[in-house]
Amino acid sequence: MKLDAMAVTLPEVSGHPNRSPFTGVLTLVDEPSTKPPSGARGHRVILTRGAALAALPSLLGMAVDYAPSWDGHDARRKCGIITNADVQGPRLLVAGYLFAKDFPEVERQMRQCLPGAMGMSWELADAHVEDMRAEVWTLTQATFTGAAILLREKAAYRNTSFELAAARCRSIITRPTAAQGVHAGATKQATGRLRDGAGVAFPKRETGKESTWSYRQPKTWSL
Amino acid sequence: MELQTAENMVALTESMERMEARLEAAASLFERTAALMEERESETSGEVRKIVAAVETNREAELQKKLEAAEQQIADLRAQVEAKGEAELKSTRKTVPAATAQFLAKQGLTALESVEAGALDAALNGLSLEQRIAVKAQLLRAGVVS
Repeated sequence: MKLDAMAVTLPEVSGHPNRSPFTGVLTLVDEPSTKPPSGARGHRVILTRGAALAALPSLLGMAVDYAPSWDGHDARRKCGIITNADVQGPRLLVAGYLFAKDFPEVERQMRQCLPGAMGMSWELADAHVEDMRAEVWTLTQATFTGAAILLREKAAYRNTSFELAAARCRSIITRPTAAQGVHAGATKQATGRLRDGAGVAFPKRETGKESTWSYRQPKTWSL
Repeated sequence: MELQTAENMVALTESMERMEARLEAAASLFERTAALMEERESETSGEVRKIVAAVETNREAELQKKLEAAEQQIADLRAQVEAKGEAELKSTRKTVPAATAQFLAKQGLTALESVEAGALDAALNGLSLEQRIAVKAQLLRAGVVS
């Protein structure tokens, strides 16, 4: 299995009332979408692994939004932020925080909906299509500009998912060092060997629920 | 004189409205052409500005349809109002032969919109019976008196 990851490290704050960690499958790479995405002029699309990996840095720090009807994007309802992104096998996995205090209705929906009912959707800008006459468009280059939480059946990729962590972030306050500030991290290869800057991207964390959560994420994502 | 000026103003306004409508139509045509050209350009270059991995909802299409219907309705209503206004304007327009208007003006009757019966009789006092009947008939036809 090949693993490529990237993360933004945010300073940890104990019992942060507005952070509710989430994980999700944003999309599948090298696989055609189940349905034509909006803006693709009726074509289904394939996001290539290369394009997804190249676009990972653009995904970090982007917002997740939602529409009240849970059927699409609403860029003006940004209810969370993406801090981690991984490509594991065919899945592009993301993790981050919901602004749970600001958007209690989102957290409520996530807690109340049936398991597996919610999915995710990306928003791409400046996408390059290999052949626009092809039945299925192959996206070879793109920039992620955001993501949305929506009903899985409304997503162009049916095999996406979105889940909130069981409990809120309750980590111990740590004073961020110069290296620990908000930095885009490095990529992690399948071997588990980290490239330069990985210590920044994946710093050691204090014990607590958030660190437990962070530790469990890869396991949750494993195929 | 005033009547002529008013008529000229009306004609000018109508002409400007027609011009405005033509300019609007031309602008929308330009916009459509630009959008088409953009689409064609993106087809050749393979660039797509924005794609969203959500299924295109019918809601947007429905809203678009509703918007178009509402715009059409507004345009129809506007046309109706304009037509009605024009008809009213025509029906209220009081055209009196220049000689009559001049004569009445000499007698001090410049505002033909509301002529009092007494004032009219006084003004026509110097005319013969036939001339009085003729002037009154003209004013009647013009709708100045009823």
